[in-house]
Amino acid sequence: MSPRKIALVAGREFMAAVTNKGFLIGILIMPVMFSVLVVAMPRLMTASARQQVRGEVAVIDPTGRVAPALRDTLSVAAIEARRERFIARAMQDVAGSPGEAAVRNQQNVARVSGATPEFHLVDRPAPADLAAEKRWLTAPPAGDLRPLALVVVQPDALQPAPGQTKYGSYDLFVPPNTDERLENEVRDGLQDAIVKGRLAARQLDASDVEAMTTVTRPPSTTVGAVERRTSVGFNRFVPFVFVGLIVFGVMIGAQTLMTSTVEEKSSRVIEVLLSAVSPLELMAGKVLGQMAVSLLVLALYIGIGVLMLTSFAMIGLLDPWLVFYLVLFFLITYFLFASAFGAIGAAVNEMREAQALVTPVMLVLMVPWLMAAPVAREPNSTFAIALSFIPPMNTLAMMIRMASTSPPPIWQVWATIGVGLAAACAVTWIAAKIFRVGLLMYGKPPNFATLLRWARQS
Amino acid sequence: MEHAIELRDVRKTFGPKVAVDGVSLVVPRGAIYGVIGPSGAGKTTCIRMIMAILFPDSGALSVLGRASALDAKDRIGYLPEERGVYRKMRVGAFLTYIAQLKGLSHQIAAARVPDLLERVGLKGTEKTACDELSKGMLQRVQFVGAMLHQPDLLILDEPFSGLDPVSVRLLREEVLRAHARGATILLSTHIMAYAEELCDHVFMIHEGRKVLDQPMSGLRRQFDRRRILFEPLHDGADVSGIAAMPDVSRVEASNGGGYTVTLVEGAEPSLAVARIAALVPPARLEIARLRLEDVFVRIVAGGGGLDDAAAALRSRLQSGAVEEARA
Repeated sequence: MSPRKIALVAGREFMAAVTNKGFLIGILIMPVMFSVLVVAMPRLMTASARQQVRGEVAVIDPTGRVAPALRDTLSVAAIEARRERFIARAMQDVAGSPGEAAVRNQQNVARVSGATPEFHLVDRPAPADLAAEKRWLTAPPAGDLRPLALVVVQPDALQPAPGQTKYGSYDLFVPPNTDERLENEVRDGLQDAIVKGRLAARQLDASDVEAMTTVTRPPSTTVGAVERRTSVGFNRFVPFVFVGLIVFGVMIGAQTLMTSTVEEKSSRVIEVLLSAVSPLELMAGKVLGQMAVSLLVLALYIGIGVLMLTSFAMIGLLDPWLVFYLVLFFLITYFLFASAFGAIGAAVNEMREAQALVTPVMLVLMVPWLMAAPVAREPNSTFAIALSFIPPMNTLAMMIRMASTSPPPIWQVWATIGVGLAAACAVTWIAAKIFRVGLLMYGKPPNFATLLRWARQS
Repeated sequence: MEHAIELRDVRKTFGPKVAVDGVSLVVPRGAIYGVIGPSGAGKTTCIRMIMAILFPDSGALSVLGRASALDAKDRIGYLPEERGVYRKMRVGAFLTYIAQLKGLSHQIAAARVPDLLERVGLKGTEKTACDELSKGMLQRVQFVGAMLHQPDLLILDEPFSGLDPVSVRLLREEVLRAHARGATILLSTHIMAYAEELCDHVFMIHEGRKVLDQPMSGLRRQFDRRRILFEPLHDGADVSGIAAMPDVSRVEASNGGGYTVTLVEGAEPSLAVARIAALVPPARLEIARLRLEDVFVRIVAGGGGLDDAAAALRSRLQSGAVEEARA
């Protein structure tokens, strides 16, 4: 075996794959567009909000108590506190502790939400001329403060009308093309102000009520040899994403390997190659070349994932060790399937003939998809543990278990790796024999029995 | 000195079909060896076994002193019968890649490509994609691929088939150039004229068996002693006197104004030549040489009574092969 020749074959295989138009469009352009979108989206979302909005909010308040409270709840400090609370709650729903620290950072809050608007409240004595006030909204601004909204508080907003149980609300008027987020800020401020007013009307303290109605939602703790705090939400979909990445990477590499082998065989260039390299060197080079292609794609997708998490200030949620195992499990699964696909490519004369042989192999690759849900639900069930040691599903089952809320003990992880490596070596060994015999066989397309006979023959 | 190629009683079967049956062959270093035989005779299987692309069921072989061509691949140039290139690759890149696989550095390979392409009439095609070239051009590209690393052993399977005469001449010059450099050449062809012209030894395989293994010089020395080729000096000369000669059985006009004179059994050709020259002044008068094509046709025809000499030659060669195998 000449490492130089293997490297040459791998290099050509890689270049041929990555310079192919189909590859560029199908594999690279899509994620690149996606990542551009992912990076651009939060920026687009906050682009208009980046410029601080300053303007006037006119309030017609017949109750006389909402407007002063609103002045308080629409202050810059109050808006920022509200935003921070909202994001922290959202993060807790998604992930639990790791992200919270990240989003408590003022900079991140500003990045996600945009600049805090500055509202100047203008009292309009009730009763006011509504038509005139509406005209004020659309008229050109007199100074540097532009009219942003007109709030008309209903008289029964703080206390229901006599004989009624239902509270009144408010009417909100805004000029054309008002940013929805700006409108929501005003609504949130109004909500807080009115609730405070209602509580005050009943001689209740707002902070007391808030304290009484708040129950913290802690993440559950998984009880076992090592107690660990687990976060749900984010971790619920991580296993599926990781298994998807492995299957996707393997499919790309193995399929391209098979196609390129069939092409070499049908274009008859194979004999020229075999005059320069041994079948094993050829296969090793091709497998490694396509592995590089798959790793490139995988790196791209992982990169996009990281970019996405960073962009939404959630990078703290990703455990780097999981990425390490993702790559390791990918490699084991790839070698197993790639050599099988390579052998099939060498055995057939054209792609059409390959389908009959590829379908069962594809089904085997798809089995973990079906198993993913039960394994993820009960990652330490006998079924899940058994599946972790049965190639070729073992790596995928283990990936799901590791990314789940109760990861397996480390010895099981390494046992899975050991079993996976042994299986990959065995399949590669048999595939190499089929590859050698198949390369120069033309004519009747082989079936599985023929392939086994070739493996025994050589 | 060790031989370039040595096959000893090599046998190869594909299922029930015996492709090569006990073939032995010795190609000395520096020789130009022609492998001839009809289609399906086992030539390509033999060559693939020499190249270690296929492995014999039994028998032994050595290539450039090694037990397998696998250990000497970088010293062998191979043009397979099945032409194939990476269609999307550019000619220069393809040739450089193949030469690198044969052990050349990228720089040396890239430097040699333009010169060799020019010598086979493909100047300036380095940047052309392979699928834009004609079949004949691709064949020459592949020929260049086999030559770039200046191999010690050049194995060419049907190098001239389907080529125009100019291309054949260019390739033939390159083969002779490689030979002059000291390379051993094994050339498989079914175009007898090329084998006759280029090779110094000819090896024929038929139905998987060796039926001829002889130096061309020996073959050339063999004459068909009963046939005389005659061309009169003057157009329209009367040749009836020749037909009336007692040791002449018949006179047939051949293309180009000449005649083939067939002698009766036991006649002495040298006397007949003298008598013919005395009767009609000749422009050309010679005892017919045995052509490789004749030998080929007669062997393949299976001794159907076309010529006794060929049958005798065939039986002699076969018995020789048996003896060689025994030895």
